[in-house]
Amino acid sequence: MIFITGGAAQGKRSFAENVLGVRAFTDGSSCTPEDVLIAECVTGYHELIARLMNEGIDPMSFTERFCRENRSAAVMMNEVGSGIVPIDRGEREWRENVGRCGCIIAERSETVIRMVCGVADVIKGERQW
Amino acid sequence: MTTLITGGSKCGKSRLAERILSGFAGRKIYIATMKPYGDEERKIIARHILQREGKGFETLECYTDIRDADVPEGAAVLLECVGNLLANEMFTEGGMTYPSEKIVSGLRELSRRTKMLVIVTNQVGSDGVRYEEGTAAYIAEIGKVNCGIAAFADNVIECVYGIPLPLKGELPC
Repeated sequence: MIFITGGAAQGKRSFAENVLGVRAFTDGSSCTPEDVLIAECVTGYHELIARLMNEGIDPMSFTERFCRENRSAAVMMNEVGSGIVPIDRGEREWRENVGRCGCIIAERSETVIRMVCGVADVIKGERQW
Repeated sequence: MTTLITGGSKCGKSRLAERILSGFAGRKIYIATMKPYGDEERKIIARHILQREGKGFETLECYTDIRDADVPEGAAVLLECVGNLLANEMFTEGGMTYPSEKIVSGLRELSRRTKMLVIVTNQVGSDGVRYEEGTAAYIAEIGKVNCGIAAFADNVIECVYGIPLPLKGELPC
């Protein structure tokens, strides 16, 4: 598993496409949870987490299952937790769940990349490209 | 040795802080700065107590005036977290204060009395939202506090989804 994170619009998708050679992207903001389990590359996993919460699915259990069943996946998820704690309870819980799920994905991934200004910083594992 | 740990929400900062002090043989003090205002704070406190269970920490509650924290000489201290300490000092019944210098000098003083000090803080300035005056001032103050601590700390570590990234010094575990 490979995890690509970083803030919004830092070049995650271009990196996956051009450097990792990913062909098929599954959009976490619109796909079904089942799609994720067989995806080559999931984009916007943080948005998937919000949708899982709306559907009453526990995002941490789902993420554990995803990491178990789709070990070759590439996953893209933004870093969203470095702001003021939101006043809205739902927003707050979403942000915390993104943090917890991110820790799960990072732990299960052989490689974790943090994109900043289009530059890939390998923060776990070895550069394989 | 002083280590500052920063990062976003639920990125494994506490866990890393505990790991850094896990091998320490002397007294270990956990300075808790969160006031139990309501259910949510109580839940967070309960979760952190559970996480620390069996790890040999004595808990010391200290909401303000960190310089005066009653810590035994030569102990190891885990302070969690700067964000709450700042909010407690900053938003008082008498109005808003700007306590960044007081907090930094208090923590520097604390670092002199301890063998190991691990300070957990937060990154709160990266959501690009324009906030009203009080929150904007809070973001500015926590930025100053973090820069002030980082200047005297031996190590500064950023946590990204559980992965520790040394920004200054080294990962002391």
